[in-house]
Amino acid sequence: MSEPAGANAPKPSSSVKLVLLGEAAVGKSSLVLRFVNDDFQENKEPTIGAAFLTQKCSLPTRTIKFEIWDTAGQERFASLAPMYYRNAQAALVVYDVTKPSSLTKAKHWVAELQRQASPGIVIALVGNKLDLTNDGGDASASAATESESEPVRDAGEEGAAEESEQQDTNSGDARKVSTREASSYADEEGLLFFETSAKTGTNVVDVFTAIANAIPESSLKTGRGGAGTGQTALGGRSAEDSRVNLGDRSAATAKEGCAC
Amino acid sequence: MIPWSSFVQKAQSLIDPANFNIPTLSSSDGTPSKASLFRQQFRLPDSQNPLQEITAELVLPLPNSNPGSGDSARRVDRTGNRYTGRLHLSERFICFSTQPTSFLPSATLSASTNFTGQTHGTGPSGNGFTLPLSCIRRVERLHSASHVFSLALTTWNGLLNKQQEPNFTPQRLILQLVGSRQACERFCDTLKKGLREGMKEVDNLRLVVGDCYSEYLLSGAKGKAQEGGEGDGRQPPDAGLGMLFRYPGDARKLRDRSKMRLWGEYFRENGRNATLVRQPTFHKLIRVGLPNRLRGEVWELSSGSLFLRIRSPNLYQETLVKFQGQESLAIDEIEKDLNRSLPEYPGFQSEEGIGRLRRVLTAYSWTNAEIGYCQAMNIVVAALLIYMSEAQAFFLLSVLCDRLLPGYYSTTMYGTLLDQKVFESLVEKTMPVLWEHLIKTDVQLSVVSLPWFLSLYINSMPLVFAFRVLDVFFLEGPKVLFQVGLAILRINGEELLDVQDDGSFVSVLKTYFSRLDESAHPRSENPKLRAITRFQELMVVAFKEFSGITHSTIEEQREKHKGAVLENIENFAKRTSIRNLGPESKRLSVDDLGTIYDRFYDTLYQWQQQQKLQDEERRRQEKKKSERLSVLGPPADTEMGRVGLGPSPTHMDYGAFREFLAATSKWAVSDSPSGSRSDSSSGFGSFRGNSSKSLLWANRRQPADHEFMQRLYRKWATDSEEGLSLQNVVNGLARLKGSPDIMNNINYFFDLYDDSGNGQVDREGILKISEAFLFLSRRGFEGTITATQSLEDLNSPRDRDHAEQNTLTVDERFLGSVSAFIRRCFEYADPSHPENQKASQQDATTEVTDKLDSFAIGDDEEDLIDVDDSKSNKPASDAPSKPSQSGDSEQNRPRSESANPALDPNNPLHITLPTFRMVILADELLEQFFESYFPQSFHLSDHPHPASLAASSSLSSNLTTFSNIGSARPSNLATAGSVSVGASGGIVPPGKGLRGVLDNIVTDGIRMAAEVKKRMDEAQRDLERNALGRDDDDDEDDDEDELRRDSNAAAAMAGGISSWGAGAYGAEMERRSVRDADRDLLEGAEVLSVRERGESSSLLDNKNEVDAKGQHGAKGSPSSTHDAEVVSKVVEFES
Repeated sequence: MSEPAGANAPKPSSSVKLVLLGEAAVGKSSLVLRFVNDDFQENKEPTIGAAFLTQKCSLPTRTIKFEIWDTAGQERFASLAPMYYRNAQAALVVYDVTKPSSLTKAKHWVAELQRQASPGIVIALVGNKLDLTNDGGDASASAATESESEPVRDAGEEGAAEESEQQDTNSGDARKVSTREASSYADEEGLLFFETSAKTGTNVVDVFTAIANAIPESSLKTGRGGAGTGQTALGGRSAEDSRVNLGDRSAATAKEGCAC
Repeated sequence: MIPWSSFVQKAQSLIDPANFNIPTLSSSDGTPSKASLFRQQFRLPDSQNPLQEITAELVLPLPNSNPGSGDSARRVDRTGNRYTGRLHLSERFICFSTQPTSFLPSATLSASTNFTGQTHGTGPSGNGFTLPLSCIRRVERLHSASHVFSLALTTWNGLLNKQQEPNFTPQRLILQLVGSRQACERFCDTLKKGLREGMKEVDNLRLVVGDCYSEYLLSGAKGKAQEGGEGDGRQPPDAGLGMLFRYPGDARKLRDRSKMRLWGEYFRENGRNATLVRQPTFHKLIRVGLPNRLRGEVWELSSGSLFLRIRSPNLYQETLVKFQGQESLAIDEIEKDLNRSLPEYPGFQSEEGIGRLRRVLTAYSWTNAEIGYCQAMNIVVAALLIYMSEAQAFFLLSVLCDRLLPGYYSTTMYGTLLDQKVFESLVEKTMPVLWEHLIKTDVQLSVVSLPWFLSLYINSMPLVFAFRVLDVFFLEGPKVLFQVGLAILRINGEELLDVQDDGSFVSVLKTYFSRLDESAHPRSENPKLRAITRFQELMVVAFKEFSGITHSTIEEQREKHKGAVLENIENFAKRTSIRNLGPESKRLSVDDLGTIYDRFYDTLYQWQQQQKLQDEERRRQEKKKSERLSVLGPPADTEMGRVGLGPSPTHMDYGAFREFLAATSKWAVSDSPSGSRSDSSSGFGSFRGNSSKSLLWANRRQPADHEFMQRLYRKWATDSEEGLSLQNVVNGLARLKGSPDIMNNINYFFDLYDDSGNGQVDREGILKISEAFLFLSRRGFEGTITATQSLEDLNSPRDRDHAEQNTLTVDERFLGSVSAFIRRCFEYADPSHPENQKASQQDATTEVTDKLDSFAIGDDEEDLIDVDDSKSNKPASDAPSKPSQSGDSEQNRPRSESANPALDPNNPLHITLPTFRMVILADELLEQFFESYFPQSFHLSDHPHPASLAASSSLSSNLTTFSNIGSARPSNLATAGSVSVGASGGIVPPGKGLRGVLDNIVTDGIRMAAEVKKRMDEAQRDLERNALGRDDDDDEDDDEDELRRDSNAAAAMAGGISSWGAGAYGAEMERRSVRDADRDLLEGAEVLSVRERGESSSLLDNKNEVDAKGQHGAKGSPSSTHDAEVVSKVVEFES
């Protein structure tokens, strides 16, 4: 579980910029709300542009402070996304397990991130709304949870395989995207993979913990420090990289700055 | 703000301050039209045009002057407020403003104008009025001694009510026109006309005005109701959900009651709603914040949406009724957000509020399907609905989307992105230190500021304050959003300079917004200073310190950044859509896909511009003077179709497809540039950033129109009604270019002509195929096809005459090949007649076993293989024929026997794919045509898919092809050919004699091929049989009369073509080359390819030598014999 960093031993702390992407109404904001406030709201205001939240995640050896950019999901906001995923060290690409089109959209986002975001970005593919399926929030899911503490990727696959077999036998289930399909895709692309329910809380914290674990130590050390260390190696470089992106304006304005 | 003065001056010289629309490029020089400037300044509907204008003086009664008797007007004439300004007249409005207009009076109406840029602000910011003519009850000409041309306008102000208000004086405005008598008379004439028209709208006016709270307020009904008297049963008009669920904020703290009193007074003196006259007090009253119940009405008035509502008062209800029960994507999206729009306001926790929100958003999504619904609109509309009725909100939303926030909610949100860029550049200019800091710390400003603009500060600030911003925004326009944004940063500057990352940046501002109601100077001694809230401070900073930020500033910045923003969006869209094109597209290189993408949308865009021009032309011809169909919607002169600007067409119709092909392939360019479509070639501006693209279009070639192109279109389209999508085009091109597999291309071509889909192409089809060959080849082969003997010359074109002769030879020979193709097709065709059915494909196998032995060529083949004695001959002979269902030749040759009725129109016949394939492969040039020319004639990027190149070379070494018998060089040459020939590969220059002649011949050939069908009558056949009978004997292996007769006919026909096309080629030569040499060649090739694969590349060198030898020997001699020579030498060498 992630708790605010305890008052005990001062563990090294670092911030990680994380961005949420995915089709509209797959539950991005709800995932964040669950993670940050352990809360769930049926009616959340739609995200305009992006919402910004932070939450700390305590690992055995260090504390990770997530700076979460929760983006708007409506299709037309997609062109704004580069502005938000620029410099992100981690991304949650969310789809809805009851809506196959949302997985397609998620794949598009993954492709976009892999090509356009900072190199080395940790991407997690998350199938949300597990509560609407028969295997939602019960033993099988939590079993997967437990096994996912260390070798995250492998555990994800195994758990996934079991689950999908299980759900094949079930009927009357809102699930439309099989675990196997999504997990094998995640596997191919080298993504973390989870199925979650923001409503019940299943697996939500685990996603963030897994991401925290997957962020390479090296990138953390050079990352944007928690104590206002400012711009350092990685940040600087990746900022450089993203100068070509849509979200970036400084390159352009620098050129035009002296026009008057 | 010293830099601003020069800045503004510069802006004035360039940019339109009064034009809200970013896409104003419809006029040729980039300046907006006078009409649009005029409309913007007075917030008029798009139907309005400036008709008359004149300098005038407006004389108003003094405030608080005693309303007196009728002649009071003349008294105040001397004492009242006087404003000098310009008076304008449009079809339905009379407008007056002290604010100078930004266009010269001399400007012409329709086109762009001499642009003065005098207006700093925009909208009705000056003093004056915007009166619908329907509001004017009477106009009198005043006779004054001073020779001044004076008009007195009496309005309907207050008179449309059922009951008379106490102490009511009709509103009377005195206008003294300054100008020549003639000008004044002219103005009055137009006014008279307009007034007559305006009378028709009085009923609308009455309807709309009845909903205005101001009428209710002034009628005194309110007072009566409060006194608890019996009242007059009059309910207060709908002033938003606030009336049911309370207005946000503390009414007492907002001093709502005293504001209301002040407005009541103002209305009494200056007119209400449609008849309001703007005096300085008006602007002040808005700055201090509107009273709750009048807020909606004043918004409506200052934004101009009131005029839209007067124009069609029932549009909102009608729209709802019209689309009742229909579904759309927008509605789904709206539904998702209804429960989450200002959920903290009680009204939106109720069905009533949510219902209103749903109806307004839905109705708008129907009237403007291009925008549909964008998140953030829900928040804005929810806010509007607190103060306005549904209909009012509906029209105001329309004005917002179309004019005040252009492009904000479009499907690409380019307006939002653009204004972010503008905002950032303004921050950089006004607060360079802060800007530096943001850059240094890599904080992305727009991450914070984007929601401010997109939802008009509504979910950033506490509601009460956001509404104060809106009050000014609707009056003064979008610059207000910038001014407030800059002021926020300025006020928080100190703290922001300490910020190191996005997170703390966000939280500093969040804290600031939450404390807007606190005192700005809590520790001040001065109680007055202490009373100033942070919000008041914000307003002061925004409008005083940043008063230099005017509409022209914004417009100039928008214009400056527009290109880059659109390009970014387009790149993003391109990147995304190319990535999402699916597995099929992976067969093309990314560059190729990029080229297709650009060309596709460029073509669509240009096509649409063209259609638009034609439409306009037509409309002009029909002399339909346009009042726009709907009062809503974006201005008519909006630039359309550019990807970055929002929804653009996604499908090509056939016309656009032809344009696309013409840009892709030479053969798709029309031969006659002055064709039937030349009318459309004029009038293309170069709107697009990429000048090379538009240049290409400007000098573009007229696309040809050929049946082949239609077939391609039908083949590529998944739904030819809908047109071709990018995906269709990409898939189509990927099929052709993605894998340069000759079999694939042959199959594809065959499919194009397989109309019935049963794997058969009939006589008609065969002829059409041959026409297509000629059509496709009529501009030469761009070096992709080489006749074997010309190899050396192509490699070293020192001798120009010689080279020319050789190209001629290739083209010429191709004609021969096509004629041979027709002949062979008929020769090997299967009869479709029932009695001949045994020869059809199903029976072919048995037939093969029956007859195989009796065929000499079949024997030859076996011999050859025996001679070669290669152990791997089995896979070798399979390899080439595998995709083509092994043993075509064996299957088909026997059928040639029974193909007797080939040319008899009464005997339907057809060829199958195997036959077609065989016939193609039997000819060197046709084979090359399919292997290299045809796929390569579709020009995409300079960087084709590496796999396709690799595949092409590996394939040609695997396949039994003529080119790799000759040498490995021809295929290399073929791929390089398109580059090296590029320059000369275009349209044939007129001066070039031989080529020109040849072109004519080819064109003739096409025409003649079409006539071939007609020539197949008996007489002709007999005639030709006699002439060519002897030759046939040499070639045909059987003696059956019937058969001979028919093949003679085939030869006759083929001979016919070749004599029209390429006189040098006799049918005789042709035929022998196929029968003997080519057949052998084919067999030999198989053997060769076996060897080639088995042995090392040194063999290739040897082969080249042989090849060269062959060429020397064969130079100038008929190619058929030459081919045979080469092959025999090769075979010799090999064995």
